[in-house]
Amino acid sequence: MTREQVEGEIRQILGDLTGRQLRPGLPAETPLLRAGVGLDSLGATLMLTRVRERFGVDVADEDLNLDSLASIGTLATFVSQRLERAT
Amino acid sequence: MIKCVIWDLDNTLLAGVYLEDEHPACDPLLARVLGDLASRGILQAIASKNPPEAADYAARLLGHEFAAVRCDWAAKSAAVGSIVAELGLQPQEAAFVDDDAMERAQVAFTLPDVVVLEPRDMADAATWPQFSPPVITEEARRRGELYLQRRARHAEAKAFGGSVAEFLRYSRTAVRIAPAGPADLARLHELSVRTHQFNSSGVEVTADDFAKLLAAPDQQVITVRLSDKFGDDGIVGGCVLATARWRMPLLMMSCRALGRGVIDALLTWACATAREAGASQLVVPCVINSRNVPLRVALTSAGFRASNDTGDTGGTKTPRTADYIRLLDQPLPDLPEWVTW
Repeated sequence: MTREQVEGEIRQILGDLTGRQLRPGLPAETPLLRAGVGLDSLGATLMLTRVRERFGVDVADEDLNLDSLASIGTLATFVSQRLERAT
Repeated sequence: MIKCVIWDLDNTLLAGVYLEDEHPACDPLLARVLGDLASRGILQAIASKNPPEAADYAARLLGHEFAAVRCDWAAKSAAVGSIVAELGLQPQEAAFVDDDAMERAQVAFTLPDVVVLEPRDMADAATWPQFSPPVITEEARRRGELYLQRRARHAEAKAFGGSVAEFLRYSRTAVRIAPAGPADLARLHELSVRTHQFNSSGVEVTADDFAKLLAAPDQQVITVRLSDKFGDDGIVGGCVLATARWRMPLLMMSCRALGRGVIDALLTWACATAREAGASQLVVPCVINSRNVPLRVALTSAGFRASNDTGDTGGTKTPRTADYIRLLDQPLPDLPEWVTW
């Protein structure tokens, strides 16, 4: 799976979780928490659960500082790197 | 521990079928069990394939305001799942009671962690340990009421046009941080048992343990109280602060207080207190598990960074932990005026 595909699916999951379609042009640097996409701590947790179910990558277990939650792009990069390492 | 019982109506809480029988009575035995469980602080909810009026009818009949209601024709598992999510519970903290074997099987298959029971089990189940909380605090007795206030708050927040901060101010939110007293110990113990998503240690702390900490000269036991125009939530969180080394061995918050600025206020208060005392950092040791991810999100958003990860301890009794450290030479966020200590 390419990084673009991972990011596409993450955007889709975010759309599901926030209950609204993400703007197609929304930059990858958009923060996931608070003022950005608007996830709170519980929303971020649901996001990570969906990521684990979809990609088999346990972000909360590997990234204790949760730096990968900085933006849509950082999360997509973290997940696709783990997927590459696994293959 | 079961935190919520989700009841079917037809031939369960009601001795009859709402849409077929004219004004069915309630099942007297189950009505008594429901009242008994509610008095222990266990929430009561309805999942029924009926029009919404059926829930109002049952609430009037039983004299009980339900914490959550799903009256529609969706699958029972969907109703149960969405009640669990609305109340901020884990599936294993919910029990589902239905007379229909098919409905029970459908919920048991889709949500295997939910405790699924027949109506006739209920009188006995009420004596089981998972329905018998060890302490029943003032907060527990008022829990059903607090969830109703929460529903009113959510409805108003949804309609409110401004930001979250503006809504908290508009609803006259007050977060009060204070040293614990002897009267608070039962509630602190209860929080140590009931909180999972916002609990740094994952270990039960008894009221006696808290009393010892209260008496220790180098430990501070802190409570956080929360109220707003919708109601008074009482003590929703707390922490223990070891002031000799500026470590916080316990940090916990009820998820009922989620999104109301409580955990950020408590962390900022602790950092400010440590800094005033001349400390260069504050350390929050935190177990690493899948349930407390919300707490770890809150810690990292407040500028804490993980170190000393013990890694997977390979099934030994000691769980994996890491130290979350906040350096105090970096600026602390400004707290809104409704946070006091």
